[in-house]
Amino acid sequence: MIPASDSGGASAGEEDPSLSKRVADRYLKREVLGEGTYGIVFKAIDTKASRIRTGQTVAIKKIRLGKYKEGVNFTALREIKLLKELKDPNIIELIDAFPHKGNLHLVFEFMESDLEAVIRDRNIVLSPADIKSYLQMTLKGLAYCHKKWVVHRDMKPNNLLIASDGQLKLADFGLARIFGSPDRKFTHQVFARWYRAPELLYGAKQYGAGVDVWAAGCIFAELLLRRPFLQGSSDIDQLGKIFAAFGTPKPSQWPDMVFLPDYVEYQYVPAPPLRTLFPMASDDALDLLSKMFTYDPKARITVQQALEHRYFSSVPVPTKPSLLPRPPPKGESQNHKPSDFNSQDGPLVLSPQRKLRRVTLHQDGLEGNAYQLDKVGDHVKEVRQMDGTTGQSGSMPMSIDLGAVFGSRPPPRPTLNSVDRSHLKRKLDLDPEFDYH
Amino acid sequence: MAANFWTSSHYKQLLDPDKVDVVQRLDKEKGLTLEEFRLIKIHMSLQIWKLALNVKVRQRVIATAITYLRRVYARVVDILKIAICLFSVCRKSMTEYDPRLVAPTCLYLASKVEESTVQARLLVFYIKKMCNYAGASSSDEKYRFEIKDILEMEMKVLEALDYYLVVFHPYRPLLQLLQDAGITDLTQVAWGLVNDTYKMDLILIHPPHMIALACIYIACVLKDKDLTTWFEELRVDMNIVKNISMEILEFFEYCRLDSKGNILIPEDRINAALNKVAAKP
Repeated sequence: MIPASDSGGASAGEEDPSLSKRVADRYLKREVLGEGTYGIVFKAIDTKASRIRTGQTVAIKKIRLGKYKEGVNFTALREIKLLKELKDPNIIELIDAFPHKGNLHLVFEFMESDLEAVIRDRNIVLSPADIKSYLQMTLKGLAYCHKKWVVHRDMKPNNLLIASDGQLKLADFGLARIFGSPDRKFTHQVFARWYRAPELLYGAKQYGAGVDVWAAGCIFAELLLRRPFLQGSSDIDQLGKIFAAFGTPKPSQWPDMVFLPDYVEYQYVPAPPLRTLFPMASDDALDLLSKMFTYDPKARITVQQALEHRYFSSVPVPTKPSLLPRPPPKGESQNHKPSDFNSQDGPLVLSPQRKLRRVTLHQDGLEGNAYQLDKVGDHVKEVRQMDGTTGQSGSMPMSIDLGAVFGSRPPPRPTLNSVDRSHLKRKLDLDPEFDYH
Repeated sequence: MAANFWTSSHYKQLLDPDKVDVVQRLDKEKGLTLEEFRLIKIHMSLQIWKLALNVKVRQRVIATAITYLRRVYARVVDILKIAICLFSVCRKSMTEYDPRLVAPTCLYLASKVEESTVQARLLVFYIKKMCNYAGASSSDEKYRFEIKDILEMEMKVLEALDYYLVVFHPYRPLLQLLQDAGITDLTQVAWGLVNDTYKMDLILIHPPHMIALACIYIACVLKDKDLTTWFEELRVDMNIVKNISMEILEFFEYCRLDSKGNILIPEDRINAALNKVAAKP
């Protein structure tokens, strides 16, 4: 078992030299922290005595070399390229990089936890001041990126890491890119679905920093609700969830919408008052939220404007990072098993992992959307079967209570006509994520 | 990130001219002269260019690749690090880093960084093709490499660059400046001049917009345009622009050009120089 101390090296077990392995003469390798998209992450102690720090705990990402003889992983290279340029208290620091035994290793500052663990930990109470503080740090990190013309493109709670001093830092820049570079390959694949802005769901090829703002809005909502806000099970369903929450956008609200490549007309549903979705939020919070969820990306609030919003200057003042409630440091409990939380009937939070993006809702949870389910029935069944095999999501009790979200009346549902249906089918057939065979 | 050159690692890494063109100790021991060192750099920049034309990548990728190549042999650790550890000034020698391998590797790395990846397989195919042209001599064989050589060198190049990969180029400021000055008819001339600056180390020394201005300045002189007032209104040090222009012109004098304006480098001199430093086993 992993020792409880997070400072590393304190317990006798860790001092045992046989457990430690020297990596590149400088780092003492410790336990594996997890497996990322392109390699293993392990904890290590930096033995190099520098002016600033000695015996610092770090996290080392060992980058797996691709099977296809393409050298240093493309995603890793993006992350290196951008993190070398981005130095900010709210962005993860790339301390060092080195090759070792033919593999590239990236050394990051060690982060105790992440925002997903905070949101999910049911022993933690988040006060309005705490939420404000977490959101402010998120936006500050994002503002720095945008100032440097970098879009993150993968904002979600488990990419927002929390340091031992409580500072929240943006991590995982593997999808990030510099604006204006004519790369369009990854457009529709960016972001975990629940955090995808409507323009991306409609297949926009050219978009800007607004996509990060939308995702930050989803994170804000998630902090307030303590569960993911818009949990779509497919791209179309995601749009349905968005429209159910904010009303179907009218062309007057978002003139460019109808020109987007994957634009599908949804039946008009009015927006329920935002207050009913977030009964506990302050007026300022609701106002900021509605501006972050503006449909037209051109009219959407920028990160800088969001930071200057009244919400941040009104009471309560944001909690000091060091005083924020935090879950026990990573690795102390196997808190990455959502099944631990399944016995309770409270809200369940599970951000989609990139590898397991299609963590679909259990069918009970979709009752509210039964109409839509009929339409995509065949496909959903396939997906469900596949999900059943993954175990975790199959056994997940669905606790998304739409009744609670939308008040007592049934949620407004988007409806699709037969043309949309064929479009949808085509889309689903093309969706690479559906290809499980 | 064009708007943020001043906060970039590229800006922080700009070097003093006298630090760029220095033959590394190990190469000196092998008898490499400064003149030969320069020739090799010019020759290898041209090699990258030729290879890039075959694999068809954007101008930007070529420019980034050549910048990487020049940085490998010129890089001194950034100022902050020098302050902490004075002893580890890393300049790579051509003896340890065979330029004939470093050049295609830089192109490979740059293609990935600039988000228009060229498959290593394809790159190697064209490298071999270039070695196999009619009349290929035995020295051409030394340009032949396999995928594994490139991938191995990629890691070493990354390390030599200290993982700083974002590079700014004069192309974008050039177009903006030409537009601003209202002389877009000079675009072709000025663009060609910017291309030529990559045969020199200017990109390691000066901010890209200054290089762009110098190219505009030369283009104006060549085409008899008077832009004095426009230049005066810019808030830049015209002395620096003129110095860069002089450097470019001196470089043209130094190089012998053929009828098409291409640089001619005597092949035997290049081979002699390369044989000194990078004798492939």
